[in-house]
Amino acid sequence: MSEQQPANKPAVNSGDDVTHFGFRNVPKSQKAGQVADVFHSVAGKYDLMNDLMSMGIHRLWKRFTIELSGVRKGHQVLDIAGGTGDLTMKFSDLVGPTGKVVLADINASMLQVGRGRLMDRGYAGNIEYVQADAEHLPFPDNSFNAVSIAFGLRNVTDKDQALRDMARVLKPGGKLMVLEFSKPTNPLLSKAYDAYSFNALPLMGQLIAGDSGSYKYLAESIRMHPDQETLKGMMETAGLVNCKYFNMTGGVVALHVGIKP
Amino acid sequence: MMPGPTLMSAVTAVLERGLNRALSLDPAGRQALMEALTGPVQFTVEAPLNLTLALVPATSRVQVVSQPPQSPALELVGRPLAFAALATGDDQVFSQNRIRVVGDMALAHQFQRAIDQLDPDWEAAIAEYLGDVPAHFVGQRLRGAAKWSQQAFRSLNANVEEYIHEESRSLPGRRELEATFEDIDQLSLRAERLDARIRQLEPGNESSDATENRKPESS
Repeated sequence: MSEQQPANKPAVNSGDDVTHFGFRNVPKSQKAGQVADVFHSVAGKYDLMNDLMSMGIHRLWKRFTIELSGVRKGHQVLDIAGGTGDLTMKFSDLVGPTGKVVLADINASMLQVGRGRLMDRGYAGNIEYVQADAEHLPFPDNSFNAVSIAFGLRNVTDKDQALRDMARVLKPGGKLMVLEFSKPTNPLLSKAYDAYSFNALPLMGQLIAGDSGSYKYLAESIRMHPDQETLKGMMETAGLVNCKYFNMTGGVVALHVGIKP
Repeated sequence: MMPGPTLMSAVTAVLERGLNRALSLDPAGRQALMEALTGPVQFTVEAPLNLTLALVPATSRVQVVSQPPQSPALELVGRPLAFAALATGDDQVFSQNRIRVVGDMALAHQFQRAIDQLDPDWEAAIAEYLGDVPAHFVGQRLRGAAKWSQQAFRSLNANVEEYIHEESRSLPGRRELEATFEDIDQLSLRAERLDARIRQLEPGNESSDATENRKPESS
């Protein structure tokens, strides 16, 4: 992978039956369960931790995703790994009463927190909640004008399969947006980012959420995630065209966009 | 160099919050603007900024975005000062082509009227934090200060104009100038008439003029 990874990162076994869970290799069948445990643990403090860890900048990253989505009144939108519903809330405003937003998440705890939060804020009528696996989306082909997955793809076991399924449910001309941590483009920023994420994040997790392990996993899973060009190639392989990416905050996060032909 | 997506998102977030806050303080103005926003309205600000912003109608608010919408209902292109003039109610910006319109011109005028009619109740906003009586006191002072500033500006303008025209005589006054231009016009007309008469009286022109003069009589 890239030079941003710390020296203690173990080599990844490229065997067919194992995948990475942070820097560890685990059987593919176990990854989803382990990721689920992480999110069951952090669901209650998820929004607070996001604000603290990113210093509020995650709102700007998500805002840019919404701006680029081109979602309008009457559109059908799928927000995969929607978690606590940040994107769903904005999409719901844009599609109006004639459109529909589906908030999908594989994790029941996250979905429950998201549903409660949206209902408390008066978002209802054009939102559906679905517990679904991104690799096997329970929707017919050509169903959505836009599909988004924000900070969720790196937790998916088979990313290629997930991208193929997202492309499948998109209508022709529909847009897939993948917002995910990526590789900083500046070496100095990269070093500072490594120091921050491997030291400060687990400490903050321990102090606030009482769980340092989940935030250690967060930092490790970011390093194991494909870089900008690799993910762009994966999207093209999944059948999307006009694929491009936008680096944000020096490449700490990248927004990949692709169109279904 | 254009700011990156993160910074632009911060800018649009601030603009969106400010705009929607102002609209919430003027329900009638908000309704007029929402009616004018039948689709995304794109603003392309030319040099020196080279910036694109768009207003996109959402269910309960107006969204400000930094990305050009796919199919804007209206696109306005111009320099920053022209947009500032549009915001302050100058209705000459379209006719003088300071802002170019791509799309429905009637929609552009409707949009401009909606912007012009916006009159947020800032006193109500202050009252939320200070209470009605202090807010009214502050509002009165602010209105008084604004009125005094406008009056002072007009007065300063008039004084400077008077000094230049009447006291220092650096430039002629408007009426004086108009009278001079009128005299020049009259002089020019008289000179042309005189020239025509002289040409008529010249020996070579006599017969042709006579023939010309007789033609209408014979017909």
